[in-house]
Amino acid sequence: MIRIAAVGDVHMDEDVVGRFRPALDELPDCADVLLLAGDLTRHGSESEARCVAREFGNLGVPVISVLGNHEHQCDEVPQVVKVLEDVGITVLEGNGIVLECAGGRLGVAGAKGFGGGFAGRCASDFGEPEMKAFVQTTKDSADALGRALRGLECDVLVALTHYSPVPDTLAGEPLEIYPFLGCYQLGQAIDSAPTALALHGHAHHGSERGTTPGGVRVRNVAHPVIKQAYSIFHLGDHLDRG
Amino acid sequence: MTEQHGDAPPDEYVEAEIQRMLAEDPAIAEQGITVVCLERGLVLYGEVESPHRREEILRRVAERFPRVPITSDIGVIRTQAPSQVEELP
Repeated sequence: MIRIAAVGDVHMDEDVVGRFRPALDELPDCADVLLLAGDLTRHGSESEARCVAREFGNLGVPVISVLGNHEHQCDEVPQVVKVLEDVGITVLEGNGIVLECAGGRLGVAGAKGFGGGFAGRCASDFGEPEMKAFVQTTKDSADALGRALRGLECDVLVALTHYSPVPDTLAGEPLEIYPFLGCYQLGQAIDSAPTALALHGHAHHGSERGTTPGGVRVRNVAHPVIKQAYSIFHLGDHLDRG
Repeated sequence: MTEQHGDAPPDEYVEAEIQRMLAEDPAIAEQGITVVCLERGLVLYGEVESPHRREEILRRVAERFPRVPITSDIGVIRTQAPSQVEELP
């Protein structure tokens, strides 16, 4: 069995440092890894990234993250990534990693993802250059996630994004903003590989559980949705049976 | 926490302006706060990561729209360790 802790949308700054730490200190006893589903900061500044590093660094378990849209606000993405990587946090964007856990090999592929909408109610690659650029960003991100997922050799495969791959976990958000919260192409990418679980954040008013059209379980781990420091998932029971 | 300010009923443009301000004002930068327009004023609801952020939202909105009645129902998200695990066989 592999134990995965996950949370997204923690939006760290000086005023939040220390709030998560008591719960995070329990992680080595209850999880093999912590996955962060983006929006780690408020504005994506280097100084806010240092707050993330203080709170989520040196936890005693591996920490793997994707960035969210907030990490792009200050145009300091390389600095943010460096601060996180300096404390051992792995930042994924269109790539993946395999961890040797006690219960088996866990593969995590990640990408921020993007908006675009869901089947029958989505943006099309047509018209103004701005619209085409929007949809191209959606497609590129989903393609990169799909390639990363299909390229991992592991026992349990997890997809980590910031934007949602399904509308199910957006229930509670206004329908009008669904196209800004996720896209069906991420779901397609997740379904193109033997993914066991897909985790995302971004939708603060959404709901926890959903499923891709291909049957992959999806969980929205945005902090305002789970209302606890992190959620824990146990996967790969079959590995214990040999 | 519930607070009220102002006395002028808002219109849809004010509602839209506040919604954008919540995301775009660098002192706020919150996309998870919902603005609901009721007959007598606006209600802000959602959750933030600290009491300071909740106070800052109310201060900035009241400062910019001093005549709009604002009711706040913004909570601070709990950060306790989970008491249950989800088994995904």
